[in-house]
Amino acid sequence: MTDEVDKVPGIERRIQPPGSNRRGKSQAELTAATRRGVERTITLASQLAVVVLVIAGMYLLNAVAGQLVMPRPDAVLSQSIRMWSDGSMLRALGQSLTVLGLGYLLAAVTGIGFGILLGGFRPIGRIFDPFVAAMNATPGAAFIPLIIVWFGLYTEGKVVLVWHGALFPILINTAAGIANANKDLIEMGRAFGARRVALFWNVMVPDAIPSILSGLRIGAAIATVGTVISELTMAQSGLGGLLATAGNRFQMDRYFAVVVVLMVLGTAITTTLRYAERRAGQWRLAK
Amino acid sequence: MNAIAEPLISLRNVGKSFAEGRVRAIDDISFDVQPGEFVSLVGPSGCGKTTLLRIINGLIVPDEGEVRVMGKPPQPGPDLAMVFQSARLLPWRTVRGNIEFVLALRGLQRSERADRADALLEAVGLKDFTGAYPHQLSGGMQQRVGLARALAVEPKLLLMDEPFAALDAMTREVLRHELLQLWWLRKTAIVFVTHDLDEAILLSQRIVLLRPRPGRVDQIVDVPLPQPRWQTNPRTLPEFAALHEHLWARIQGMAGDSAEIGELASLLGNPADRAKLR
Repeated sequence: MTDEVDKVPGIERRIQPPGSNRRGKSQAELTAATRRGVERTITLASQLAVVVLVIAGMYLLNAVAGQLVMPRPDAVLSQSIRMWSDGSMLRALGQSLTVLGLGYLLAAVTGIGFGILLGGFRPIGRIFDPFVAAMNATPGAAFIPLIIVWFGLYTEGKVVLVWHGALFPILINTAAGIANANKDLIEMGRAFGARRVALFWNVMVPDAIPSILSGLRIGAAIATVGTVISELTMAQSGLGGLLATAGNRFQMDRYFAVVVVLMVLGTAITTTLRYAERRAGQWRLAK
Repeated sequence: MNAIAEPLISLRNVGKSFAEGRVRAIDDISFDVQPGEFVSLVGPSGCGKTTLLRIINGLIVPDEGEVRVMGKPPQPGPDLAMVFQSARLLPWRTVRGNIEFVLALRGLQRSERADRADALLEAVGLKDFTGAYPHQLSGGMQQRVGLARALAVEPKLLLMDEPFAALDAMTREVLRHELLQLWWLRKTAIVFVTHDLDEAILLSQRIVLLRPRPGRVDQIVDVPLPQPRWQTNPRTLPEFAALHEHLWARIQGMAGDSAEIGELASLLGNPADRAKLR
């Protein structure tokens, strides 16, 4: 039968396989590339200008209002160098990353696990939805005294606080992604005789992955905030602890050196997860 | 083929309501489909064509009447396959992966799946695209993958729910030809839902004409065109024109006193008929 069918003149068969026409750019493509290059240069130059303006503003504010209101950027730089070379920054970063990593890992595992449960088994989901919504709506800080009483002031308590903050965005996004999985694809699977378990792992969970990754990204941002809050409000440690000591002693240059590290840390985490999200969601591009 | 063999599908007085009985989708529908037969279900919107297809597939259960597919109440499984209006491919799997998905449901060993999938994709002219993702393909090619996926399970019965309705006219024509060839070679029974009269006459051996609100059987007609049909153009035969005219007259009659004939014309008619109505 194969031969018979192959003789039919298919119109679309003349279309080349994807990837086969990568060589040889047309004139229009080249001018578009040039324009993109120019746009990128303008954007980068403007961003550099913003950095220069911020640094100049810091010097100005320092000159006008003094060391306490705004440290000089070069003082921040020299403090950074000192803190990195004497190991205090690295130690603090290690402590913070331990709290952040443990709390976030716990949140990811439990959030995805319960999310799959609540999203995949709607009767269970319907029972727990209002409780999840209530917990999610309560500001995490409200639980700090309780967490201290239950888990103490040290790493355990901090990890629980981070876990609690990151859990709900992950859980809610996972549950929603699975509960709202494409109904047409589910019906297709059923029409071909897929049973519940096969449907679940082959259709519903893959369809929910972009949503799960969004939850993981939002959860990571909240976990970073939660880490600093836990280090400020519980036993002082890590980067949050450094912030508190420097702030209490009005060592604003030290304080800013820590803020810069937090900024870079947060950006690195979010960028990594956004990249993972784009990679995993590539098949959505043309939808 | 044994003439007195048990029909592949038998529907007896089948009825189904939705929205807790307030919407009557289909009412008192009876017909049979023989093994290897190509039957089209034709009718305007609201005549329950898709509902009927889902009942035959076993995706929904009728409220009244009896449905038997291969002598049993219908159940989704490897003997049935469905082709939908949109291809409904798993977008995160490659073209080959989509075929392997249904082969896995059929219980094929992992090692056999890839070979089978590649052979089928070659049969529908997609062997250069086995590693592509659905979004990289045109609508016609996606629908071909949908067809290959349905054929992959070697069904005894192929259910098709307006599979070509969303395609451009030229692709549609090519795929109709290919479907006719595949059917002629495999003799898989096909139940084909369409609201295109030309398509129903071109493809099928028998047409079940349905009337809307609720969906009922209006008439079952045999299509007297010679087989195989892909070598000639049956549109030029007088039988084609006569059957088209007959069916179109019945559909116009369905409009009755209440339904808007303009709506029906836009759904079913050719431009000439629509012009006549104005």
